[in-house]
Amino acid sequence: MARILAIDDNSDLLRMIEGLLRERGGHEVILSADGEDGLAKAAANPPDLAIVDVMMPGITGYDVCRRLRQQPATAEIPVIILTARGQEVDRQAAMEAGADIYLAKPLTMAELLEQVNRLLAGKPTRPAVAGAGIIAMLSLRGGVGVTTLAVNLALVLAQQGDGRTCLIDLSPSSGSAALQLGLRPDPNWSTLSTLGAPPSPADVDTCVLGHASGLRLLPAPFTPVVGVGLRSDAALGMLTALKGRYCTVVVDLPSVLNESTIAILESAGAIGLVMTSDPPSIQATLGTLQALRDLVPRVHIILNHIIPGEQAPVQALERVLRQQLSEVVPYDPAQARALSRGEPLAASAPDSPLARSVALLGTRLQPTLQQVAG
Amino acid sequence: MEEMLRTGKLGADFFTHSYRISGQVDIRRQSLADILNDRTTAFIGLEDAYVSPLDRPADIVATYAASNLVKGNLTFVTVRHGEDIISRKDSYGSYLGSYLRKVFLTVPAFEIEGYLRLSGKVDLRRVLTVESTDFLAVLDARIQASIHQDIGFTGGGTLVNKRHIGAFCLAEEE
Repeated sequence: MARILAIDDNSDLLRMIEGLLRERGGHEVILSADGEDGLAKAAANPPDLAIVDVMMPGITGYDVCRRLRQQPATAEIPVIILTARGQEVDRQAAMEAGADIYLAKPLTMAELLEQVNRLLAGKPTRPAVAGAGIIAMLSLRGGVGVTTLAVNLALVLAQQGDGRTCLIDLSPSSGSAALQLGLRPDPNWSTLSTLGAPPSPADVDTCVLGHASGLRLLPAPFTPVVGVGLRSDAALGMLTALKGRYCTVVVDLPSVLNESTIAILESAGAIGLVMTSDPPSIQATLGTLQALRDLVPRVHIILNHIIPGEQAPVQALERVLRQQLSEVVPYDPAQARALSRGEPLAASAPDSPLARSVALLGTRLQPTLQQVAG
Repeated sequence: MEEMLRTGKLGADFFTHSYRISGQVDIRRQSLADILNDRTTAFIGLEDAYVSPLDRPADIVATYAASNLVKGNLTFVTVRHGEDIISRKDSYGSYLGSYLRKVFLTVPAFEIEGYLRLSGKVDLRRVLTVESTDFLAVLDARIQASIHQDIGFTGGGTLVNKRHIGAFCLAEEE
């Protein structure tokens, strides 16, 4: 038996929820008719789960959810947002407020009970908070290993975080994330980009591939996209759908600052800006930092050594960039074979120099994501 | 039949040129279409109205326990389930043999794509005329804000104010 707090200003609905959870679920139910009262009850005796209506007088359900998440005593309470506002924007708002599950009214009693039992059983459903959980990998100069690092980083995070990690390859010019993972990019996001409206979570689910490691991949189309490419609403729609399903979403961005990439960079909790030590890459990195000056606190510069031999000193690069490097990824001769076999080093050789370096990068980026989430 | 967690009131989103207003309508034994098309009153009463500006449609900027909306100023109204907007007089088999026809229409600030339930040959003048009803029922609508392309809505049932329709396009019959 669990203690469930139900907060809703509609007394009829509260009684129905109470009857359902008590009689059919066998749970203890605490009722509250408004947000402030509900928060007080949650603080006084934290429940095992809270069901919160959005539209209430005084403070909204979103505010209730945010305030529950802010207090250490109530931060971990699973929250179901129950609302008559059933649009995708409302689902996004609920997830951004920290809800675990969003349910739109009207719904069946069985549906509510199923979701309550699912949360109580401890099945992880908590999505990423806006900004948190999204790592965008970028370089405005191609050929510096962004996809390699994105793939390996996503694998490391998938292995650390119970597999709830998804990688999106947003390259419009035959992205290679699927190739690196030994997967065939079919389906891919090209079908989503042609929809008249932002894709729904169900639409996105149909295009996600599974890797043996537990990592999920939304691959880029094999054939280059001709024309304007991916619209920002489609890109954000994909991201929003994946945010609701996965703890961490790693985005492999194309080498361009267009509307889509800017929108995703603004949504990201951490931005991995990948560079090599050759002058064109340094110049591109400087230009990127200038273009993204408002996002610089979230930018982590990653120096990737893609060729063997002597490299420019790190301190010299940091002086030029006026920013510290977050990680220096050493040249790894095994990478070429890993690429040709479709077996990324993070999965096939976790002790290799590249995989160890990416694992360190993962541990550096995750606290950043948590800070954004807080 | 599965037991629904709902009260006797219908939740709906009402859209004007600038705002999204969500609330509950006491529909009693009527449908939402019947209430909106009822010309004996120019207003529709709403309980628990939650107001959001169109450019931030998830932000609740005002709440009111009771409010009245001017029907003529509504551009469209959406509900989750299509059956909630069908007029009672059309609900009991009178549309048997009817078919769905894809439609695209524009109202101020929005483009709406969905399906009309039609029977027989389509006479556009009859579909659009306001002599009989003021609101046109569109099923399974996808609604896109024309200026804010990142803002979209869906509605199992959508009632569009005919007086605000700019363009009305029927797709070819499949």
